[in-house]
Amino acid sequence: MNKLILGRYLPGDSIIYRLDPRGKFLITFYFIGIVFLANNVASYGFLLLFVLFAVYISKINLGFFIKGLRPMLWLILFTVLLQLFFTPSENPLWHWGIFTLSTDGMRIAAYIFIRFVLIIFISTLLTLTTTPIEISDSIESILKPLKVIKFPVTQVALMLSIALRFVPLLIDETTKIMDAQRARGVDFGEGGIMQRIKSFVPILIPLFVSSFSIAYDLAIAMESRGYKDGEGRSKYRVLSWSKRDYMALVVMLLITIILLFIRSY
Amino acid sequence: MENIISIKDVTYTYPESKKPAINRLSLDIYRNEWLSIVGKNGSGKSTLAKLIDGLIESETGTIIVDGQEVNEKNIWEIRSKIGIVFQNPDHQFVGATVEDDVAFGLENQGIPRDEMVKEVDAALKMVDMQDYKTRDPQSLSGGQKQRVAIAGVLATKPSIIIMDESTSMLDPNGRKTVLDLVKQLREEQNMTIISITHDIEETELSERIVVLRDGEVVQKADPKAIYDIGRKLTNYGLEEPFSSQVAYLLKDELKLPEGYLNEEELIENIWKLSSKM
Repeated sequence: MNKLILGRYLPGDSIIYRLDPRGKFLITFYFIGIVFLANNVASYGFLLLFVLFAVYISKINLGFFIKGLRPMLWLILFTVLLQLFFTPSENPLWHWGIFTLSTDGMRIAAYIFIRFVLIIFISTLLTLTTTPIEISDSIESILKPLKVIKFPVTQVALMLSIALRFVPLLIDETTKIMDAQRARGVDFGEGGIMQRIKSFVPILIPLFVSSFSIAYDLAIAMESRGYKDGEGRSKYRVLSWSKRDYMALVVMLLITIILLFIRSY
Repeated sequence: MENIISIKDVTYTYPESKKPAINRLSLDIYRNEWLSIVGKNGSGKSTLAKLIDGLIESETGTIIVDGQEVNEKNIWEIRSKIGIVFQNPDHQFVGATVEDDVAFGLENQGIPRDEMVKEVDAALKMVDMQDYKTRDPQSLSGGQKQRVAIAGVLATKPSIIIMDESTSMLDPNGRKTVLDLVKQLREEQNMTIISITHDIEETELSERIVVLRDGEVVQKADPKAIYDIGRKLTNYGLEEPFSSQVAYLLKDELKLPEGYLNEEELIENIWKLSSKM
């Protein structure tokens, strides 16, 4: 069950870990954006080098990143094959019915593959080096301007952090319910797909009930500790923006300039 | 003795029920005492705790906490004076790490960060959990989680701690560390402790036991007097103390003094008998 947790954090220490999560969060999205600017072998190669360099200085084993590709494998394969066989071309190498294989198609398929690798590696780098709570703190900080239009930023951030905090607890709860039902003879691994889906309904109902009771207990506990409505609270966790975070932004700027240069070359 | 909490004529009925959970209940709780509230399931113990903290509103009567009446206006100030440690350690953790959780109450009061850092450290030190500061609550044992919950409560410096069956989900070791901690805190910090419990050992530590039944106080006495009831303790949702069970089984064979004896006293008495023989 534990493999299901999204955005697994890997405890460690390196410059990437120490970067301000807000910066990392924004840079990751920015990088995903500029990946789409790449248009030739050199620009893709340059971005790939940059990502591999980032992985290298993060001191995390490359294996973790390759594992990160696995859940997306079918999507990647499907998209790559689509490009490979359906790219129209003037002088195809091979042609059969609706299928066309050409050097253009091969090149585009390779680009798409690298694009996936880049995006998945960079976002894996974010989640491996940033705790979920840091991510939720950065979201709060980034959304802060929305307070002007009365968007409840602090409340949403607290909701997010509590939700993250309760993921492992709910997984435990699910395991307990499944064990209790297994003990009474339910077999979750048997039957066709419909049968298997059906056997999950008796898990969802008790899980719902217990989630509500946990939520009630938690609300009472929070209120007894003086939680009002999120206003007038101070913050224990503070994010600190330092010199290296400016450096990271400068690096991104340089990457963009070089990329634009290679692109038009 | 000075009252820290006085409850007068309080009634509360849960919306979905017809019978009141608390029925015209009056009770005085003294400053710096350790009071146990016992009773069967549904006798109104936890409801009483929630009423004192203003988490639910009574229909009749008044509750005065440290000179202030529990009402809409005073509620936040009263809550800052009372810390509640609940039953399930997993259901009261708000923070993603130990230190975050301890800071939650302080954050709610808008304490500046520098001060918070000091308070959190001090509170974790009091419960001897400072080495676990950055740990994820999921990685702690039940007893450790409850100690963190107590630290979270202590950080805001309350004068009253309510333990709402806080040790009932812990193993004997965890229970012992939590109870030792509470005992020590009461002595060092001059706190009033209200423990809602089924555990006979926990009541032994207290000075007074209040027995609730159907939302009413049916008994109010020191532990020794309550244990004298012996066999009938089960009617109050308490187990008969082990020494009292042994004494009951021996009463036909041996001449033991009347009334409750704790384990040591019982052993002492049996020794005396055998030396007479």
